[in-house]
This record gives sequence, structure tokens and C-alpha cells, in this order.
Amino acid sequence: MRGFLRKALATAALLALTAGAQAKETVVWWDFLGGGDGVRMKKLIEDFNTDHKDTIEIQATTLDWGTPFYSKVQTSAAVGAGPDLMTYHSSRIPLAVGQDTLTEITPEDMTVMGLSEASFAKAPWAAVHVDGKQYAVPFDQHPIVLYYNKDKLAAAGLIGDDGLPKGLNGVDNFAAAMKKLQDGGTKYGLATVTANGDFAYRTFYSLLCQQGGVVGGDGNWLPGDNLQKMVNAVQVEADWVKNGHAPANTDYPSTVALFTTGDAAMMVNGVWEVPTMTDLQAQGKLFNWGAIELPVLFDKPCTYSDSHTFAIPNNKGKPQTPEKHAAVLEVIKWMEDHALFWATAGHIPANKAVTDSAEYKAMQPQATYAPLTANMIYDPQSKFAGVASPLFDAAGNALTPAINGEVDVTTAVTEFRDTLNDLQ
Amino acid sequence: MLKSRKSEVLAAIVLAGPFVALYAWMFIYPTIQMVHLSFQNAPLIGEGTWAGLKNYTKLLSDRTFKTAVWNTAYFVLLTVVPGTAVALAIALMVSRLNGWFQSIILAMFFVPYVLPVTVVYILWDWMVNVQFGVLQPVIALFTGKPVNVWRTIPWFMPGVAIVTIWWTNGFSILLFLAGIRNIPKEIYEAALLDGASRTQVFWRVTWPLLWPVTVLCLTIQLILQLKIFDQVYLFSMGGRTQVTMVMVQYIFEQGFQRNNGGYAATIAVALFVIVVAVSVLQLQAARLRRGT
Repeated sequence: MRGFLRKALATAALLALTAGAQAKETVVWWDFLGGGDGVRMKKLIEDFNTDHKDTIEIQATTLDWGTPFYSKVQTSAAVGAGPDLMTYHSSRIPLAVGQDTLTEITPEDMTVMGLSEASFAKAPWAAVHVDGKQYAVPFDQHPIVLYYNKDKLAAAGLIGDDGLPKGLNGVDNFAAAMKKLQDGGTKYGLATVTANGDFAYRTFYSLLCQQGGVVGGDGNWLPGDNLQKMVNAVQVEADWVKNGHAPANTDYPSTVALFTTGDAAMMVNGVWEVPTMTDLQAQGKLFNWGAIELPVLFDKPCTYSDSHTFAIPNNKGKPQTPEKHAAVLEVIKWMEDHALFWATAGHIPANKAVTDSAEYKAMQPQATYAPLTANMIYDPQSKFAGVASPLFDAAGNALTPAINGEVDVTTAVTEFRDTLNDLQ
Repeated sequence: MLKSRKSEVLAAIVLAGPFVALYAWMFIYPTIQMVHLSFQNAPLIGEGTWAGLKNYTKLLSDRTFKTAVWNTAYFVLLTVVPGTAVALAIALMVSRLNGWFQSIILAMFFVPYVLPVTVVYILWDWMVNVQFGVLQPVIALFTGKPVNVWRTIPWFMPGVAIVTIWWTNGFSILLFLAGIRNIPKEIYEAALLDGASRTQVFWRVTWPLLWPVTVLCLTIQLILQLKIFDQVYLFSMGGRTQVTMVMVQYIFEQGFQRNNGGYAATIAVALFVIVVAVSVLQLQAARLRRGT
């Protein structure tokens, strides 16, 4: 009996070995990319799988963006049921590290991939580090930009000799430009998400930074005169709504619809809407359009941005085998090398080799707004900040009524600050 | 005699055992764990530290919790009795139809019930969309201008209540229809022979004989609506969630968004107590009404 058992075990071990040598390594992948960029990511994954027909297969699942994604990642990693690789917002990394959800990316990993600090833009590189340790590999940067209807702006005399919008800098000039566009028969000067204070926070944060203001951090949010600067920022948008330049209480899909149907001449939105415009134009259903860095409404250029990164969950009790880990690194490396295609989704690749390439510099409107990376601001490193965070929640609650004139702006921003300071 | 009794006990254990074991494992054990967790300062996952009654004292002074309790109660008020009344009215009308026509009408009322909540949300969100919604002209008749129902606080709960009644009514209608069909025709004939008017027939015959079904509908609705979460969460996303908060949503927020497992359990215990208390009260009330 014992002899039989030993033979059986030996056979099983042998089978396992040969299977390991021949079998394809699978990489279970989770992302939250559901829009036009999701379509492009699926294409990248397909191409990867074709390239690695005999060695690695990505099994990808797209989950719901925001809170559902991050709760699922946190709970599944805690019981060892998370994916092998996932996309992650750099702004969510401080919270994830506090919850022990992520595996560190070691310097050896980076060497294996042939990547280093020098490969990446500064801001996203800094954003994947907590206490000097690296927890993700930056993939892109996705700021908000100003989309514009070139035909309408040209008719209103707002296009300069260089073919780009002019006369939009400064709060008053911007308002005057919107009025001119509306006098020309356009319903709204600008469409922006006014029903969701958490989305609008991206604009407010940019305008706060344009005044040299900072949002602060744990226990000391909007310190000193930053409160007033935030009030100024929110007031700008509240005035747009009050004066009929921007529609009140308008949600995300309606904002995009208002712009693409020509009812709004401009739109503030993330670069991730670029594929929507590109695809519509390819079908011949869109006017001439472009996208530029947010105009300087206050003192200096500054725009909010976040970064999509690749992270490896800390699957409790199930650390990755060396083979699996190597496959995961191969996936990251391949994606970084092919980030040029990702740029067609509007995002600005974090990999400098891509943004420095001639192909990227010829890509429009990406190349027009890409220089804004010099004037970007990321979320503060706090476990309360980041997309779909308590900070976003507080912005939704306190600032939504202020945008739409239901609450006085100073009261709303004070409530926003107090909510943040109460977090613990 | 004694022996057969013993074997009966054995048979009872064998038959009831699997259920009792499953029930203890899947319901009783987690409930005990939940109460245990509510006395701890714990994250969503992982070990916590003993906190005594701290979570409970915090709960009593928590403004958002009070909002959540009030909103949940308000929502129950807006949906349970009105929803059941609407279902009864529709069932009475449908029961007067015959054959395939009845089936078609019934199917029309039942279809929404089959939809997942996300579909219901997207449907209604578009119908009342402030820019493009087909219902905005109707709203504008009353208000003079388009209204974002999901961002105007006084409109929010009634809005969600209407959507919920539209969505879940099909089930109650089915229950009522079954109840109506169970009432023997002879009773109606007798009542008509005695010269009862249609109003009298309804109040003296249909209503009392349907009462058990009504109680069932009310109980199902009550427990279901106390646990309201999905619709409120979806319609309030990105807006003023603290003002429109309901209890289960607050559990979700504290547990999954804020990583406060202990406090989330405390809110869950509070909801548990409320559900038990309300169910007992309602059963008692129903008994009183029956006069037994």
C-alpha cells in the first residue's frame, strides 16, 4: 500500500511538473474601464493574448468603476480571492496601503521590466509611492480638459491665428466668451457636470490651484485663506449656472450629450471622453472639435489629474508563484510598451518613451493638451482623498447645492471643510 | 411504545437536522457575530479591538444615523400602504377582465418586476432627465421649469417611492389576484340576491375575505422597504447622499466606503431591532383587526 502511495505521489508530481512546463500561465485581470477607453483596453488585451499565444493568457473582467470596484478588491484580496493584476487609481493608493491591499513593487521587479524612475513622468511616479515604497506602476495621466466646438468658436471670433481658442483666460473674459457664443444662438456656453459635486470637485481643485491654493491634508483641510480660495473657485461655477452660461443640475451623460449635439459650445470633462468624439467624428456625426488645457481663470495654469496604474493585490495566503509573478510583470511591461494605442483613449501615457515619440506628437488633440502635464496637481496623499473617496463624497454633499444656487457658496465650502476635518 | 418514540425522535432529527444545521450556520452564527462585532472597533476585514458601548453611544448622537432612520421610515410610509392599495385596485380591475386580454394586461403590470434595479434606475433616470427627459414637460406643468428630481431634496423620496411602487407592484397584484379567485362565486351571488350594492359587496365580502392576503402583502412590503438601499443609492450617487441616506445605505457607507466594520455592525443591529419590533407590531395589529 505504501509503495502504491509513493508511486502515485511521484506520478502526480511528475505530471504537475510537466504540466507546469507546458501549460500557459494565466493572468487574472480586473479593471474598471467601462467607457470608450474600455474598448481600447480590450483591444490591447486581445493583442497581448495573440502575441503570447503559447505562454500567457490574460483573463480580463471589467467591474463597475469607483466604490464597487474598490470594495471588491479590498474584500477579495483579504481572503486571497483577488485577481493577479488590476488597474488602480494612484489617488487611491494611500488608502489601499493602509488596508494592506497592495503588494509592493520591488526594485527587482522594475529591473526585470527594464523600467525605472527615469521612464516615467514625475507626478504619476511620485503618486505610486507611499513612505518611499512603490505600490504600482503608472500607466497614464488623465487630467480634465476643455473641449470646444471649433465651428461655433470660430463663428464667435474666438479662434486665433494658430487655430486654437483665444480670449478665454480670466474669469470675466471666459464669461464674456460664453455670452458671445450664446448670443450667436448656442443654448449654453459651456456644459459641465453640475448635478454631481464630486465630479465638479475636479474643476474646483484646478481653480483652487490656479490661485496658488492647496486643499490641505488630514485634520487640516483648506487651511487659512485656502478656504476663501476654494469659495472663489466654486463661485465661478455657481455664477456660470446663475447667469445661464451652464445648465443647472445636469448629470454626466447629459453633459456629454449637450456638447456633442451642439447645444453647448464647450465642455469641461476628462480626457477619457476623447474617444467618444473621435468615434462620432469618424461616423461623420460631429462638428470640428478640439481639446485644450483648462484656460487660466486666475493667476497661473493648473489642472487636476489622476493616474491609472497597474497594481498587484496582496492576496492573503496566496502569494504569487514566481512563474505567475513573471507573467504579471510581462503583462505590465508589454502594456507600457504599447501605451501609444492607449493614448487614443485620450489618456496621456506615463511612459516618457511613448510621449516623446514622433507618433504621439502627431496625435490630435492629444498633443495639443499634453503640455499641461507641466501644470498638473494630484490629489493629496491621504486615505480620505482620491476618486470615490470620502473627500469626493463630501464634495458631492456640500458643493452640489452651492453650484446650483440652493446654498450660499461660503456656507457650502465651510461645510465641506468641516466634514473633511471630522473624518478620522 | 418507548422504542417507537425513540425512533421517531431519531427520524425527526435526521429530517430536521440539515435545515437546523444550515440555519444555525448561515443565519444564527452570523447574527451573533454581527452583535459581537458591534462592540468592537474593527475594520471591514480583520481583527478588531474591544470598544465596549462606544459604537452605541456614537450611534445615538450621530446626525446622519438619525437622518437615515427618518428617511427609511418616511420611505416605508410612502410605499407600503400606498403600494398595497394600488396593487389591490389594479388586481380588482384586472380580475374583471377575461381570457387572453387579462393575461396581456397582467403581464404589462408584471414586466417591471422582472427588471433588475439597475435597469429600472437607468429607465427612470432618463425619463426624468432634466435636459432631455420625456417626463419633464409634465413636471414643468406644475413647477414652470424643469426639475432634477434626484437633486431636489423634497422630491427625492417621493420620486424613489413612485419608482419602487411601479417596479415591485407586479408581485402584490399577483397575490391579490390569487386571493380574489379564491373567493367563492356563491358568496357574491348571495350578496347580490340580498340586494347589496357594489360598494357593499366590496366592503362586506371582498375586503374581509382578502384580509389575509392584504396582511401578507403589507408584511412582505414592510420588511422589503425597511431594507431599501439600491434605488436610493443609485439615484443619489454623486449628489447629496448624506441628506437622502437610508439605513442599509449607511451600513454600506460605513462598512465598505469608510472601512468601519464595527460601526457598520452597530447600525445593522439597530436595523435588525427595528425590523423585529415592527414585524411583531404588525402581526399583532393584524390579529386585532381579525378579532382573534
